[in-house]
Amino acid sequence: MNLNRRQVLWAGGGMGAAVLLAACGGGDETSDKSPAKANEKPRPGGTLRVGALGRASAITRDPHGTQANESDYLIISLVYDTLTVPGTKPNTVPRLAARWQASDDLKTWRFTLAKGAKFHDGTPVTAADVVWSLKRLRATPSGASRLPGIKAENIRAEGADTVVLVSDYANAELPQLTRLTTFVLKQGTKDSDLGKAPGTGPFKLDWFRSGNARLVRNDEWYGGEVYLDAVEVKIFESPQAMANALLAGQIDVASNVGAVAARTAEKRGDIQIVRRPNDMAMPIVMRTADGPFADAKVREALRLAVDREAMVKQVLSGYGTVANDILGTGDPAYAKDIPQRKRDLARAKQLLKEAGFDTSKTYRLLTTEDIAGLAESATLFASQVREAGVKVEVVKQESATFWDKTWLKGDLYTTYWGTNDSVVFFASKTMVSDSGQNEAGWKDPAFDASYKKAMATKDAAARAEVLQELQQIEFDASGYLLWGMADGIDLAGAAVRDLPTLPGYGRVQLEQAWLAR
Amino acid sequence: MAGALTGGDPAAASEARPVPAVVRTALYAAGVLARRILLLAVLLAAVFAAVELLPGDAANATSERGESAADLAARRHLLGLDRPVAERFGDWMTGLPTGDLGTSARGEPVADLLAHPFPNTLLLGGLALLVTLVASVALGCWAAARPGGSADRAVSASATGSLALPEFVVAVALVLVFALWTDWLPAVTLTDADGSPASWRMLVLPVLALAVPQIGWNTRIVRAALADEAKAPHVETAVLDGLPRHRILTHHLLPGALPTIAAGLATSTGMLLGGAVVVETIFNYPGIGSVLAGAVADRDSPVIAGVVAVTGTVITGVLLLADLVRAWASGGRT
Repeated sequence: MNLNRRQVLWAGGGMGAAVLLAACGGGDETSDKSPAKANEKPRPGGTLRVGALGRASAITRDPHGTQANESDYLIISLVYDTLTVPGTKPNTVPRLAARWQASDDLKTWRFTLAKGAKFHDGTPVTAADVVWSLKRLRATPSGASRLPGIKAENIRAEGADTVVLVSDYANAELPQLTRLTTFVLKQGTKDSDLGKAPGTGPFKLDWFRSGNARLVRNDEWYGGEVYLDAVEVKIFESPQAMANALLAGQIDVASNVGAVAARTAEKRGDIQIVRRPNDMAMPIVMRTADGPFADAKVREALRLAVDREAMVKQVLSGYGTVANDILGTGDPAYAKDIPQRKRDLARAKQLLKEAGFDTSKTYRLLTTEDIAGLAESATLFASQVREAGVKVEVVKQESATFWDKTWLKGDLYTTYWGTNDSVVFFASKTMVSDSGQNEAGWKDPAFDASYKKAMATKDAAARAEVLQELQQIEFDASGYLLWGMADGIDLAGAAVRDLPTLPGYGRVQLEQAWLAR
Repeated sequence: MAGALTGGDPAAASEARPVPAVVRTALYAAGVLARRILLLAVLLAAVFAAVELLPGDAANATSERGESAADLAARRHLLGLDRPVAERFGDWMTGLPTGDLGTSARGEPVADLLAHPFPNTLLLGGLALLVTLVASVALGCWAAARPGGSADRAVSASATGSLALPEFVVAVALVLVFALWTDWLPAVTLTDADGSPASWRMLVLPVLALAVPQIGWNTRIVRAALADEAKAPHVETAVLDGLPRHRILTHHLLPGALPTIAAGLATSTGMLLGGAVVVETIFNYPGIGSVLAGAVADRDSPVIAGVVAVTGTVITGVLLLADLVRAWASGGRT
């Protein structure tokens, strides 16, 4: 759930044949081509070759470690199962936990394990295995943020198939926390055996070498039929090399390859462009606690000065959607009825005047080149707000410096989040007064109260209402300027079918994929 | 050996008492080796210092977003980052003679991290060096055969052109033409279950991308060395004697030009290994380039130093070989 900033993705950018090809092509229409016919029946068999980004120096085999590489995360999530996984609506769906039940105070949650779930070596999965795995996860350096509010001693087994988690506070969205990182290993697995440890997932590890792996179908998977005979994961250091491999037919899927590669592929009828909407947020953070942007009027002025359509078109090559300064756009509970904020330079200027904003000064906007488009978004933003009379100078910082010196501290900087399917996720991580990653230093008692109320409301409809209120406060006053959402982009060969279209880490769910050849 | 280590000049020693050529060469080699090892140690110290100067550290660079300051401090302690850089360098260096390259910031033994990538890079660099040797000697001889002729002018011009091309330009052009347009060769390198390239065809483009600029460089060296040698009296004698042209080339010109050619190739070794970092990225070649790039981003001193140590050792070896060739060739002459 809590994603490493490097884990997010580093698509696009740089120099490569793909860029040259794109430059040769011309034209900017974006399309969602898919040769798949509507009523095709899934066909079993075949090996899917998937390219995924990763760095040789950061390879890890530990399901509870820091998976900086997408390739590692992909391999781990095909071999191991988490208790729950991302879905569309609701956004949390069962996996190893078949169902869950909360106590009335929303503090005690009982997860019942799926029937027939067993490890690849044939032994059944027990609650003890899950408890052991969750405790192991909790004991990692970032364990506290991966299972927030759940102390290790409050994770216990009840019988053979029930796991009980007791939260320190009421938490209506607790099952959401168990997505993504709660990989289940066999109780007592030694660190030295992690490379060969049996999982419970849809695929079994055949071999692993230097970040590359071959996985074969687990015929006895409890989660349903798996069509592919095997999945081969190939590690790629650069998105360009990955795109080239796909264009040359050396792989079937280039996972999370980015907009630059997609533009190239538009000219090719035999390549599918799979868009996963709401995949990545790149908001601009305005510090609310102190400094020049502490006045809510100044922040609103900047929100009104930005040209969102232009940002999406130019920064994301059109592979994205305009956003409304509320994080968590993929959430079913996202407040769609708050009117979309539009560019209004006159109003922006007026607000700046009312706030007594010093327009003679030049303000620094700090950014990095960690992901494609981030620095470009800062530059375009700077030129847009100049029209409202705000002078902004973009300062690119080297990644390590940025995260060390600017993040959580700066007055005006860019940030990015690769998981964005939940309003509550962002509220709890970045906006509640005492949150550990309060990027804008925002403290708002009304927001906190709303958040607590939502977390303690059991009835889903009533909770949605409170969440609406919470998002209104966020829209009005938070330190975020969220101009748009980037699509996640995978490229695939013509024969590939049913790739996941979920944002964020939903993309690793390849068990439904099949090959029409 | 002891004399050589204290920096005794082998040439002076040989004057004092005549020693056999083999011993002389060995002493000379030992002296050069000792100097090179010292240089490598200085270089490694510089690497540690340079990483220290970069903003952020390994604990920070490999952390997750949610880690607290206390967790970071704990990891910093675990990685020994709270100790002075000189102490960490000292620790790392004392492990070096036993082959212990330390542990990465992510907890992997550095030796394991390099175990597969390094032989792959050596294969790539070695093949590129071989291609460079054959091509540049052939082209250089061809150009030198008729000085000032059209072949000479064409070779010289294209050599100058190609040595000015950065590896990544060559690489991108090769991918475009031979992989994406004509589909003759694979665009990227994929690996087998054993961690090596899945097919020899995947080596062709990376080797060419690395070799082309070096062929340009070395062709000019070969051509110039042959031209110098052609002015030597014994070559003029041979020409006047009416010996066939190829015999003059193989028996009179090339042996004399050998030290210069060897030195040129030795210089290329460093360039080839350096260029490999770029070329490996473009072709997704499973070498140390990717390890090094990631390690710099991670501020991972033991990994960076490990890469420098192994490549430095290889370059030292090749330079030593070139020196030996030079010593042997010029020793035979005087």
